Amino acid sequence: MANCLIPDHYPNQIDITRTPLAFGDRAVPRLNRELNDSILLTRQRALRSLCDYLHDPEHIASCISEEIPTSLKQLLSDVDPFCRYKSAECLYVLSCNSNGRNAIVNQDIIQNLSILFDDQEIMARKNAHKTIEMVSEFSIGAEGIVKLKLIKILVEKLKTELDEIKDFILDTLHFCMQVDTAQALSSQAMEVFTNLLKHESKTIRAKAARDIFDLSIPLEGKLEALKFDTVATLVNLLKDKDSIVRCKSALAIEAIAITTPGKYSCIKAGAIESLVELLNDELSEMRVNALKAITCLAEAPEGRKELLDHIEKIKKLLDDNVPIVSKHAGIAVRIITWKP
Amino acid sequence: MAQVLNQNSTGSYTFSSQPRAVQQRKKYKEQFKIQPDDQLNQYGNIMYDRRVIRGNTYAVNTLPAAAQPDPVEIQRQQEERKRALARRRAREQAKRHTPEPVEGRKHIPIQTELYLEELSDRVEEVDVDVQTDAFLDRPPSPLFIPAKTGVDQSTQILEGELFDFDKEVKPILEVLVGKTIEQSLLEVMEEEELAALRKQQREYEELRNAEKVEQQRLEEQERRLREEKHRRMKQAADILRLEKETAEKLAAKAFAKSYLADLVPSVFNNLRENGYFYDPVQRDLETGFMPWIIDSTMNELDTMMLGRLLLDNLIKEVVQNRSQEYEELMEQLKELILSQKEIDQSFSQQPDNLDSTLIQAEQLDEQTQEASMNDDILNDNNEDLE
Repeated sequence: MANCLIPDHYPNQIDITRTPLAFGDRAVPRLNRELNDSILLTRQRALRSLCDYLHDPEHIASCISEEIPTSLKQLLSDVDPFCRYKSAECLYVLSCNSNGRNAIVNQDIIQNLSILFDDQEIMARKNAHKTIEMVSEFSIGAEGIVKLKLIKILVEKLKTELDEIKDFILDTLHFCMQVDTAQALSSQAMEVFTNLLKHESKTIRAKAARDIFDLSIPLEGKLEALKFDTVATLVNLLKDKDSIVRCKSALAIEAIAITTPGKYSCIKAGAIESLVELLNDELSEMRVNALKAITCLAEAPEGRKELLDHIEKIKKLLDDNVPIVSKHAGIAVRIITWKP
Repeated sequence: MAQVLNQNSTGSYTFSSQPRAVQQRKKYKEQFKIQPDDQLNQYGNIMYDRRVIRGNTYAVNTLPAAAQPDPVEIQRQQEERKRALARRRAREQAKRHTPEPVEGRKHIPIQTELYLEELSDRVEEVDVDVQTDAFLDRPPSPLFIPAKTGVDQSTQILEGELFDFDKEVKPILEVLVGKTIEQSLLEVMEEEELAALRKQQREYEELRNAEKVEQQRLEEQERRLREEKHRRMKQAADILRLEKETAEKLAAKAFAKSYLADLVPSVFNNLRENGYFYDPVQRDLETGFMPWIIDSTMNELDTMMLGRLLLDNLIKEVVQNRSQEYEELMEQLKELILSQKEIDQSFSQQPDNLDSTLIQAEQLDEQTQEASMNDDILNDNNEDLE
């Protein structure tokens, strides 16, 4: 009779593109040794096996203790493009885990990843950007990126890179700007974002609008936004087909509309009409953002006058299910009906 | 003439008759000799060959003038000629060209071709290789079939006796399917976990953005109201200050006005008193006319004075002369008197006349002195007047 015991190891690897994993806890040291081998084929096969091995979080801890990130760091500057690409992908998988991120930041791998930004190979660049984006979501990672002055390089890359990589760069910049906006402002990021607002891809438009919001939080950012005529473009985007784009552009408008010149440029661009239409959207975030933008614009007397006509619609939102919507609706109503 | 058979330059095919260009026909036919091959220069141009028919060929039906014999005849003749030629060639060859052999010897024609050796540096070499024969496979040993001992038995496995496939395959299948599903579930879970994390992040971000914007808006509002308040207060203070200044200015103006009200007439008065306002005619009179009048008056007076002076001097001189003369007269009188006295002393009756004439002389003297004194006084007065 055949044996019914279910083995807990994977069946024998007959895939020649990967090295077979050694048994138990010999797997990781052997992989590490093979990663530093001089034969190209061995390195490539080891990288492929490592990539799959790292998906399991339990393995990541053992990998980190065996200094696998150091070997990956050296492989990032390998001559073979496949090695670079695959090691970037391994680092990406590593960075999806919090221990992995810690290891990446502690061992200064970010610098080497930034060198990969200029690589010829598209996949290598893409994975490098994906890794950096993942690292930046986490506050120490974002600080590390800012300290290495990578923001300027990332903004430059935004002008020339492919669309899918632009997505990742925009996300990275979003998280980095929550740590420090000065570097982004000094590298003329506002102008680049304003240009991206007219891009065909809707995710890029939405992300660019969100990044404009991040950049407009300090005062200099708001002034820059007014300089580059961002308001007009954002008000156009309020009528965009995609709801997320509308959402984020309302977000950006509400940040810019806090200063008095910002308010007046928004009102002049006719933002109030579009914002009032957005009050009936399904997305709760949309309603909140529209309400906040309306609140900011209601501070100005002209805005208040116009909004007094639409105050019924706002009052309807007071009974909304989502608590923040009703709260902000209350604030909006209060501001609109305020008399000096 | 037919040439050597199998002559080919490229080696691709052979001719039974090598193609040749047409040779020129000599005008005077010679005996048929062997035409060697190097008579190429006798080939003529086909354009100038008389045998080539020119012009239209449909009218040339007739045979040429010299009637040729039958083609068979021609061929026979050609063969005869060939035979004759061959015979002649053989005869030529048979002719001996070398001396007769010596007695007892025989000439044998020999060709040394076979014994020729090419002299060259290159050594003739021949490659020879040896190969052992492939080993023949050892033929397999013949099967050892031991002598048959024992009893033959047979058995047969019937279907269903060994194992039940369906039952046995189940655990294997379970493992296979289970592992696959486990792996895929892990991957799906990883993605779902990421999606859930992202969703939560998004919601958090919404809240955060809203709150941040609210905070900034409130800050801005606060700042605006504060600035507005400051501005209003400053405005009020400015207004007060302005009013105060205006009041002060008014007071100052009133005071100055009253102070200065009196000023003008007094000024005018002072000026008028100091003679700053003058009548031009009067001034002119005073400055021009009067001096002139006075000057001319003075001149007149001066001339008068001068005249008086002169007169005075005259009078003075005259008076002085007269007084002198009188004095002299007096002296003379005195002398007379004295003389008279002396006379009269004897006549003492006439003193009174003498006294009287003496007193008269003294009175005259006094008068003249008075006159001169009056003249002096007149002079003085004239000088005063001058």
